[in-house]
Amino acid sequence: MRLLSCAGVGARSWLPGVVVVAVFLAAVCVSLMVGSYTMTPGEVVATLMGQGSKLQNFAVLQTRLPRTVLAFLVGTALAFSGGILQGVTRNPLAEPGMIGINAGAALAVVLWISAQTSAYYSQLDLFASVGMPVVAAMGALLSTGLVYGLSHNHGIRPVRFILTGIGVNGGILAIITYFQLAMSKGSYNQVLTWTNGSLWGSSWTYIALVAPLILAVVAIVLAKAPSLDALALGDELACGIGVNVSRQRAAFVVLAALLAAFATAVAGSIAFLGLLGPQIARRLVGPRARVMLPMAAVVSSVILVVADTVARNAFSPIEIPVGVVVAVIGVPYFIYLMIKER
Amino acid sequence: MPCAIELRGVQVAYDDTVVVPDANLSIAAGKVTMLIGPNGCGKSTTLKAIARINPLRKGEVFLHGESVAGMSQRALARKLAVLPQSPAVPEGINVRDLVAYGRFPYRKPLGGLSKEDHEVIDWAMRRTGVEALAERRVDELSGGQRQRVWIALTLAQKADVMLFDEPTTYLDISHQIEVLELLRRLNREEGATVVVVIHELNLAAKYADHIVGMRAGKVAFEGAPCDVFNEANLRALYDIEPEILRDPARGYPVCIDYARVESANPVVCA
Repeated sequence: MRLLSCAGVGARSWLPGVVVVAVFLAAVCVSLMVGSYTMTPGEVVATLMGQGSKLQNFAVLQTRLPRTVLAFLVGTALAFSGGILQGVTRNPLAEPGMIGINAGAALAVVLWISAQTSAYYSQLDLFASVGMPVVAAMGALLSTGLVYGLSHNHGIRPVRFILTGIGVNGGILAIITYFQLAMSKGSYNQVLTWTNGSLWGSSWTYIALVAPLILAVVAIVLAKAPSLDALALGDELACGIGVNVSRQRAAFVVLAALLAAFATAVAGSIAFLGLLGPQIARRLVGPRARVMLPMAAVVSSVILVVADTVARNAFSPIEIPVGVVVAVIGVPYFIYLMIKER
Repeated sequence: MPCAIELRGVQVAYDDTVVVPDANLSIAAGKVTMLIGPNGCGKSTTLKAIARINPLRKGEVFLHGESVAGMSQRALARKLAVLPQSPAVPEGINVRDLVAYGRFPYRKPLGGLSKEDHEVIDWAMRRTGVEALAERRVDELSGGQRQRVWIALTLAQKADVMLFDEPTTYLDISHQIEVLELLRRLNREEGATVVVVIHELNLAAKYADHIVGMRAGKVAFEGAPCDVFNEANLRALYDIEPEILRDPARGYPVCIDYARVESANPVVCA
């Protein structure tokens, strides 16, 4: 009986994993092929192997590949962040964009950009690009701390945490709008990509900066995943089986805030991605965090890679914010999933 | 008699409301102890204070003579298991995976379930009669089945002290009896110390070795059902006018009427 059930669980968790990874690789391949200079799959592979022309090298290695890698990192970070918050709050709708974490990071970056004297679209120097994730992380942690502090009253109650977060989110977005109105047109456009999400500025420098940070936090989260699962039993029983509930919850909220901050630092505030990935993954592989979160990461990455490819090419040469595309393609699929489930 | 749990001068408060001002209580090892009392009398709060779910404002709790305050949550969970009143069922989980949470305090940082863990889980499900349900989804079970699954989880912690907060609430009478029979069997056969918060007076009188009556956060009386389950104590506890008989076969006390003290309208059946 046990053997059978294990085989069943195994089959259930392997098949969607293989399919989603295959879809991801296909999406990556397409994202590398299309653009103002379109290539065949063979050319892409040859270029990746180091046999491309100068033009191909530039298109794939310097322009498209960093965007795709960054999409993977951002998708992973937001999926983990959303999955953690959903677990910690026991609310399937929680995600970093909803409770003010992304907004806090975005506000910090907006203030940072406003304070810079640099001209429109000037190349961000190394100081600026190193500073950006740090500033975003501080903003995210500050807003998370604010939400946590305001909702803390002899322990955290999940509903109060979320409602406070929604309130803080609204307040921060209003402040961002206020700053935007007072900005020059160039700064306004630059900030717009932050508030709606974009991968336009991606470069290997960014990746080198955030990849280790995101992967380190992801590793910590996976190591702590059983405690996250245990929180689903309710605070009292979680406590009864040996989880230090308040300490673990605070730790997970900080980890989720860091992930959202790193993602926002390099890609702006992308809404829905932290919601969609974990929700879809949970339907595919069940709720266990150690399986669900990596699955959610790949799902969110697929959505972001596809959305970015569309964002770059649909109205070329004008690029639309990727966050808008995520909402346009991701949300209908999510609604379809929910309808199908009934 | 060896003492499993001892509360000395325990005070528990929610915000500024002191629910339990000063509780002193000893719970005997290897017995079934039941806490009774009106709503809000602090019996659940006392239970949660023992399990360190509620922080103490004053006083100390000792488990087998050792202060609970210095133990890690995990170490405590290996010695003392608690089933709260309404735990949440994780979405889509099956019975076996839910019972497996009982092994949480034993897990290694990165390891999965060991062979021993699986054996304990099987044993706990067998003991509670839910092994046939192992692959069923918990949210599809009936109330009585689900309660036995929660008890299996508690049992899988392999703690020799187990606390249950109103395990019979929301169950019909046959399932109430089923749960209490099960708890007493676990007590008798595994030697576990069982503490139960319960509202059903007659079930407490029937299944408890020791009854603790609480009112306004204080222990009003305690002792064997035959000694303390009497008109005067119940009147003091609930403001009712009870009438108590003895079960003819086995002698435990049975409360057959709960008329309010001030009630003056008895219904007479023809």
